[in-house]
Amino acid sequence: MDQNALEKIKKTVTENPIVLYMKGTPQFPQCGFSGRAAQVLKACGVENYVAVNVLADQEVFDNLKYYADFPTFPQCYIKGELIGGSDIMLAMSETGELQKLIQNALH
Amino acid sequence: MITPENVKAFIQDGLECEHIEVEGDGRHFDAVIVSKAFEGIGMLQQQRLVFQKLGNKMDVIHALSLKTFTPEQWGKKI
Repeated sequence: MDQNALEKIKKTVTENPIVLYMKGTPQFPQCGFSGRAAQVLKACGVENYVAVNVLADQEVFDNLKYYADFPTFPQCYIKGELIGGSDIMLAMSETGELQKLIQNALH
Repeated sequence: MITPENVKAFIQDGLECEHIEVEGDGRHFDAVIVSKAFEGIGMLQQQRLVFQKLGNKMDVIHALSLKTFTPEQWGKKI
């Protein structure tokens, strides 16, 4: 566990309303689950969010699992809070819960 | 290679499940888990619980998609 990396993650998720840590980019996801997570945000009408490609940042790749005690990618943060991975994002978008959190975060 | 049966056993080893299904290709797995342990906690906590039980087994499981239900939620679903 690297304290500097954890600080960096904290800074990113607290200074930006919506952050998606994923493998690849929203345009070119490198993993099906990451692609699905980006699709869910798109379907919720989110155009501006910070997408962090964990494959391009070894520090974050190695340490994100410690930040919110969650071992897999992707991870979506809204207002600094971990929402979950693609399964949870999809389930919450089906109930409308995710859209509410997004609205709250952006306004 | 890790089989869906392995993953199922890993999960059941730490968590009492009313029902469990695991499918996968050796790298990506999908699990449906019904457990009383999920009662009263949110989806994120439910997944954390499963991952905690799996512990360092997650190093050999490349990707695991989880659908978690309490027995009550599962009863309504089927």
